[in-house]
Amino acid sequence: MAEIPFTLAPWLVWIIPLAGALLTPLFAKLGDKPRDYIAVIFPLASAISAATMLPLALSGEVFHQQVPWITALNIKAGVLADPLSVLMANIVAWISFLIMVYSTGYMHGDKSLTRYWFFMNFFIGSMQLIVLSDNFLQLFFGWEGVGLCSYALIGFWNKDQEKDYVGTVGHTTWGLPQAYSPSHAGMKAFVTTRVGDVAFLIGILTLFYFSGTFSFTELAEEHKWAADLARSGLLIPVAVLIFGGSIGKSAQFPLHEWLPDAMAGPTSVSALIHAATMVKAGVFLVARIGPLFYTAVQSINMVSPFFLTVAWIGAITAFLAASQALVSKEVKKVMAYSTVSQIGYMMLGLGVAGLASEFVAGFVAGFFHLTNHAIFKASLFMGAGALIHATGTKYMNEMGGLRKHMRKTYFAMLIVTGSLAGVPFLSGFWSKDAVLAAVLNVESASVAFPLFVVAVVTAIMTSFYSFRMIGMIFFGEKSHHLEKMEEHGHHVHEAPAVMWLPYGILAVATLIIGLTGPFFEGFLENSLGKYLEESFGMHIAEEGFKLNPIAVSGSVIALAIGGFLGYNFYIAWFDLQVPRKQMVHQCSILQGLRQWNNIIWQCCIQRGRVRNSRQDEHRGFKVDDWLLFGKQLV
Amino acid sequence: MAVILGQSLLLPIILAPLAYLIGRRVGAKTGWFAFVVLAYSTIMLLFAGMQGSEYTEVYPWQPIGEFGLKLDGLSAPFAAIIYILSTTLAVYSIPYMKHKVEEEFEHHSPEVEQAIKRKMGLYYSLYLLYAAGMLGTVLATNLIQFYIFFELMLIPSFFLIAEFGYGDRYRISLMYFLWTHVGAVILLAAILSIGFLGGGFDFAKISTSGIPEGIRVWLGIAVTLGLFVKLAAAGLHVWLPYAHAEAPTPISALLSPAMIGIGGYSFIRILVFLVPSAYASVAFWVSIWGLITMLYGGLMVFAQDDIKRVLAYSSVSQMGYIIFGMASAYYVGVGGSVFQYVSHGTGKALLFMAAGAIILQTGGLRSIGKLGGLAGKLPITATCALIGFLVIVGVPPMNGFQSEWMLFFGSFAGALQSGSQEKLIITALALTTTPVTAGYAMWTMRRVFFGKTPENLSNVKDPPATITIPLIFLAALSIILGIYPNLVTERLLPLLSAVMK
Repeated sequence: MAEIPFTLAPWLVWIIPLAGALLTPLFAKLGDKPRDYIAVIFPLASAISAATMLPLALSGEVFHQQVPWITALNIKAGVLADPLSVLMANIVAWISFLIMVYSTGYMHGDKSLTRYWFFMNFFIGSMQLIVLSDNFLQLFFGWEGVGLCSYALIGFWNKDQEKDYVGTVGHTTWGLPQAYSPSHAGMKAFVTTRVGDVAFLIGILTLFYFSGTFSFTELAEEHKWAADLARSGLLIPVAVLIFGGSIGKSAQFPLHEWLPDAMAGPTSVSALIHAATMVKAGVFLVARIGPLFYTAVQSINMVSPFFLTVAWIGAITAFLAASQALVSKEVKKVMAYSTVSQIGYMMLGLGVAGLASEFVAGFVAGFFHLTNHAIFKASLFMGAGALIHATGTKYMNEMGGLRKHMRKTYFAMLIVTGSLAGVPFLSGFWSKDAVLAAVLNVESASVAFPLFVVAVVTAIMTSFYSFRMIGMIFFGEKSHHLEKMEEHGHHVHEAPAVMWLPYGILAVATLIIGLTGPFFEGFLENSLGKYLEESFGMHIAEEGFKLNPIAVSGSVIALAIGGFLGYNFYIAWFDLQVPRKQMVHQCSILQGLRQWNNIIWQCCIQRGRVRNSRQDEHRGFKVDDWLLFGKQLV
Repeated sequence: MAVILGQSLLLPIILAPLAYLIGRRVGAKTGWFAFVVLAYSTIMLLFAGMQGSEYTEVYPWQPIGEFGLKLDGLSAPFAAIIYILSTTLAVYSIPYMKHKVEEEFEHHSPEVEQAIKRKMGLYYSLYLLYAAGMLGTVLATNLIQFYIFFELMLIPSFFLIAEFGYGDRYRISLMYFLWTHVGAVILLAAILSIGFLGGGFDFAKISTSGIPEGIRVWLGIAVTLGLFVKLAAAGLHVWLPYAHAEAPTPISALLSPAMIGIGGYSFIRILVFLVPSAYASVAFWVSIWGLITMLYGGLMVFAQDDIKRVLAYSSVSQMGYIIFGMASAYYVGVGGSVFQYVSHGTGKALLFMAAGAIILQTGGLRSIGKLGGLAGKLPITATCALIGFLVIVGVPPMNGFQSEWMLFFGSFAGALQSGSQEKLIITALALTTTPVTAGYAMWTMRRVFFGKTPENLSNVKDPPATITIPLIFLAALSIILGIYPNLVTERLLPLLSAVMK
């Protein structure tokens, strides 16, 4: 089965962008234009390689290739192209390519574009490395690589000018300032995700000790490690620790606070890294290890605490983040909270998979939602970038009435926001429904019921803030800000084609998936089902597509309630000149709850630092001075 | 018998006086002479390394035993890093030390030329001796020989700080000398006891059967204490921030990663290889000490404003990692500790060199509070400093990641193997302190390179090629070792596995 382009593709997919990153500084010598065009070619080549692997996903076959790496410990590097990774690789590759095209317009004229292209290409390569690795150690290389790029690109505008700050300068909640400079936000993202990574590392190192391997295929073949781990009582801790990596990377509660601040980066970066791809890496990791732990021990009850943790973390995050999206003023922050919330749904899907007798339903639901969300959220962010470009503000209440001026953007965003809200016959409707149905699949009703309630309440909030966003941006009267702009002769105009085409394409994709939803889901179920059968020996019952009536009615009712409120507040009788939103702002009592790690962050690091800088440089030496007998010995 | 290691060790020592004479004629350009000597010696060293998994040269040295030079899986990573850094920094020193001497004079005058010629000769002759002293320590096959080189690396470095340092350099060099010398004397006591009781000073001849049980513990304690001064373990570290901050920057870049880590080598060579039972009895306490050092050094960084002191305290913390790994009682952990020496060697040298570049280009600014936004002004330096910090934090694809995972894995494995709950908890604690490292690294990066540029620094630019090329070279080395760790581990881990089983 191994033909030449076939064998190389899983390597090329990640090596091409990495090589491209390293070559970018050289191409920069040719001039700005060639550099920008060449930088877009690498993701395209990578995406084409990814596309050549698609037959694998259709046939359910697995391609696995290894090369020696750390010989003294018998560790091999390799690629594993199975339906899961091939599908994921294609999602990442094509969205990345579109966002790179968008970047040529959005970032046009920035002075440090060489650095930008370097990190964007490096990011794509690292992300594909995560997807295609066949072992934990190599995956961790990609894992930290994307973290590094995230750090560098959040802090891309490292001059820390006030216009690049995320949050409103001067605004405080609970006495804590709510504005961060880009370099601060980048650092925060790096250190916070690092906490999750440490847990991840502890998990895989313990696993390595018990199994002697990092390889996914070897772990799936031989289950002795699971029995050994279970005997020492470490099975659940190890699984949860590995999940800790996902919590950090996918911004789940309690390590979620870095993601909203990551919006300090350029919008194209937010679209690629903090909406479509990197934050999905955590979900992907759970999809990788979920079946492994599910099948490793014969009795399901042994691992159910792990899946229960995943499901509840997902549900809590979905709820908390949605509550913040209700009240945010910045368009990107609404979307960031919405991303966190939607990833919570994916985690919920993957979590309940392990609690049901049929693993595949929740697994497919989680992955289906990942696919749809990657597409519509990337489009949303790119649309937001176009809006920010056109209006010169990041605040929704400084926009308003834009639907006449930016018609293409309006239609694209209407489709993708509808998908986010779960409007029937758009992609998000099907996958949200699949997640809700999977929750109802859980065998014990006492577990399923609270999760279902949280999920539906979150869905109400989702549709509310979706309407709010559309209403504030596109409907109503123009804001003072826009009026002032027009007085100065700046008229709001549609974004150039190089910008609207990428998000237009993704909006069309959303529409197509929405219209073919059941077929698409059937395809995923077929492909991933084969994967679970072949790689993990699960038995998958043949099942046609069917809707769960409770789930459908739950999501439609949620849409109706949230939509009704949102429509009335923000479209029917909303007027930006009157700050009626104050009423909704009262909802921010929830802010204290979600901000707990922000508070720790500020108290430990910020305040400690402020105190230090006020005193002389030798302040920290007290202990050392004491050891030197008050410097008598110096 | 071919004299290969003999050349690489003795050539710098023999040519040191010549370097002085050359210096009197050509001034700073002596650096190229030192570079050629060290590069040749490094090539000889690598050539010896290619002769097989173990390469030994033995010369008779009665009545003490044999004067041997041995390159095996353990000493090779140390030896290679010592010479690679020395060679790289010889080039780096040319512009840096020239500027350093010039700084002491207010005007440009013939006097300055004279002083440069006088001082650069002295600098490079001491520099060559210093490099050879470090190499001799790790190649030694005899306890007395080991101790001689252990002292030989101390004396030139003492003069280098005293003659070429910053600030209160005479007092600080004396302090450095006294602290490390006291440590060395404790070590000497242990070495002599091992030699007399163990039946000879040659490593190959020593057998623990002659050493009474009761004394072994004390040997373990004495070796630990003696070496921990050099390793700057918490409590015995106080000399380090002064010495590293006030030494001339190229020497800081050698002192910090190359020299103090030799304490780790000596610990492994003497305790793990020669007196394993003493190792077993101290290992647990050493790992706690390592944990304290990691955490203490890391937290102290947050209180610093001097860029070189930041790096000095970070070195203390990194030595904590090395101590922690070598006490893991599992071969991968000890191997990780050796690898950590290599990683810290490239990473911290990069950082000190970057700090030196900043000091050089900003006209002697060392206070972080007065720096900022330099990433746009010194892009190469900023990139290399970021790579250096990522090595220290242990982020792939840098070599720091490979060494850290091995180190912590070894510690976990040691704990699980012995079934010791306390060790498991200590290891988990140690891992949870690693975000402290990430925190100070990223914070320092941000304060120096990001944010607003002070107005007086608006014309700063990247340093000359003699500084940037060594930086780029080390950055590339860090990444290569991170992607292909076999270069270090291929011989190291089998050797340790054989010794520790």
